[in-house]
Amino acid sequence: MSAQARMKPRFSANEQKWPIFLMIGLVILTFAIPPLFHHSSSAFTIYNALQNTATLGLVALGLGLTMVVGEFDLSIAGTYALGGMVAVKLGTGNPIVGILAGVGVCVVFGLIQGLIIAKLKINSMALTLGGYLVALGLTGTIGDNKSQSFSNYDIGIALNQPIATLFSIRIFIGIAVFLAVFLLMNLTNLGRGMRATGGGRRASRTAGVRVDAIVIGTFGASAGLAALGGIIQAYCTATATSNPGLFPLIFAVTACLLGGVGLAGGRGGAFGIACGALTIALLAELFSTVAAPQYVSGLFTGLLLIVVTTAASPYVIRKWHERRIDKSLKVENKVLVTSDSSSKS
Amino acid sequence: MSTVSDVIPSRFSIGGMSTGQKITILVTILFLAILIFATVTTTGFYSVQNFKAIINAAALVGIIAVGMTYIVISGNLFSLSVGTTAAVCALTFMWALRFGLVGGIIITIVFGAVVIGLQGLLVGFTGANPIIVTIAAGALQEAVAIWISGGVSVYPPDNGPSFAFLASPLFGIPFPVYVFVAAVILGEIFIKKSRFGRGLYLMGESPRAGRTAGLPITRLTTGAFVVAGVCAAIAGILIGAFNQSGTMTASGTLTVDSISAVLVGGTAVIGGRGSVVRTAIGAIVIASISDLLLLRGYSTPVQLLVLGVIVTAVVILSYLNSERAGRS
Repeated sequence: MSAQARMKPRFSANEQKWPIFLMIGLVILTFAIPPLFHHSSSAFTIYNALQNTATLGLVALGLGLTMVVGEFDLSIAGTYALGGMVAVKLGTGNPIVGILAGVGVCVVFGLIQGLIIAKLKINSMALTLGGYLVALGLTGTIGDNKSQSFSNYDIGIALNQPIATLFSIRIFIGIAVFLAVFLLMNLTNLGRGMRATGGGRRASRTAGVRVDAIVIGTFGASAGLAALGGIIQAYCTATATSNPGLFPLIFAVTACLLGGVGLAGGRGGAFGIACGALTIALLAELFSTVAAPQYVSGLFTGLLLIVVTTAASPYVIRKWHERRIDKSLKVENKVLVTSDSSSKS
Repeated sequence: MSTVSDVIPSRFSIGGMSTGQKITILVTILFLAILIFATVTTTGFYSVQNFKAIINAAALVGIIAVGMTYIVISGNLFSLSVGTTAAVCALTFMWALRFGLVGGIIITIVFGAVVIGLQGLLVGFTGANPIIVTIAAGALQEAVAIWISGGVSVYPPDNGPSFAFLASPLFGIPFPVYVFVAAVILGEIFIKKSRFGRGLYLMGESPRAGRTAGLPITRLTTGAFVVAGVCAAIAGILIGAFNQSGTMTASGTLTVDSISAVLVGGTAVIGGRGSVVRTAIGAIVIASISDLLLLRGYSTPVQLLVLGVIVTAVVILSYLNSERAGRS
């Protein structure tokens, strides 16, 4: 019986707690700040943030999974565009066919990348840069180097139609995907295997974890999730863009880091990523509500990403651990001194 | 206690026939084959005018790629915002021309060096991920540039100094080509002969060993990024001079083109091995392939697709070779 088989699935809190507090803080700020600028937020603000989380959040989820296994998928900005373009080109008659084709193409694309990374032990950032260019090139070639409109407007209207003010089918799809990944990672051995793979590959392999299969599958899932996000976005706006730029990637990285996913691997999960994605989406809505110019949002996004990347850097993490150790040593010393003095007396 | 001078040998040899050299030879053979094929089958490819166009295109990408080579060799992967910095520098140059041509050039170069150098400082000091830091810095630069310029093109001041020669041909060859050649020669000498350059190779080869041996990691990383900043600024000045204005759209595919040039040249993506001369060959190969595809009527996305395939193939080849070398 392998070690992996012996590991019992456990519905445990493998994720950090602070992303949810951060998100709640942002919800409060979303309603507290606009009145200072003579504007106001409403339920629609939350609806908009949830709408964005339902698409770009899926990209973040895909990237986050690769980060959990200790890799990094730069190509998600490409598969996000490729999925949307394939779906728009093939899904006019039947949107489901478009979704299956878009996700299918990208999953295969991701699996190939994962296979190369796992088997050849190639740095994933270097390889997926090539993948990003290939995906973007394919998108532009399929889309004739311009945005392609989607003539089936009904699907977009149906997906965006508000349900109980705060929700929509698009949001429910997003929630369902996040929930499915969350349950998979917490109720099966998969999540444990992924975290183990990210924490230490050699040890995981020795312990019986199928490291290569996990890495390959994660890249397939990452590309598929990014594609699904791109497809929903394309269907909802009735347009597929041939080059969305690096914005989806910036959103995804920031969401993952804010969601408690570690760059070194082995930490994080779907719940944290959802919180991180919603936090950034709320921040964007906050700027939109106070009618701040576009560059202000860009400025804050860039600054935020630099801050969270620095906070996740080895130096800051080391200093943080040193501080915690110092603190616990002080407490121990205090206890020893107290017990010593009480025994003397 | 060992000092840096003890650690860094006076002559650092990369040793024998390295992976990078093998890739360079392979790329050169492939490139010559493509060249012959293109000459025979593509109308207009074999002409002096077209070769000038290729060299000119290679020059701008090549100048940025010289700086990128320093970052890659230092083991910090690559920067994803040098193209943005070049575009911002074009804007800065147009604005700074009010201080005269020399003043404008100096201000722009210092600006580029500081902007990218700060990213290096952050990466070197904290060990933060260079890709994410540079992506964030790119977004930040773009936002600040739009904030300050109002999102419109920046033009040189009225009655400002003449800078037309920066974009004009000299003895029939475009001026940027001379700058490119000078950048390659200086860049190669600096990285191969200076203590700083040898430190970069050592750090790239094994950052942990370098740290243990007392290499000034923060200083070296910042230095590599500063060189990249100077190169991006020079390219920005030439782009601004060519367009006679500064605009953020000028960044185009400069970043990915320069990364591709470095990798296609055979510089190891994991650092520690490579050369500026090889990057120059890589830049010419990339420019030739783009030119060939353009002449054969293929659009920009197809060029991007081909670039992606080339980058992927080179990265795989580089790893396969180093794996084999490691086993042997």
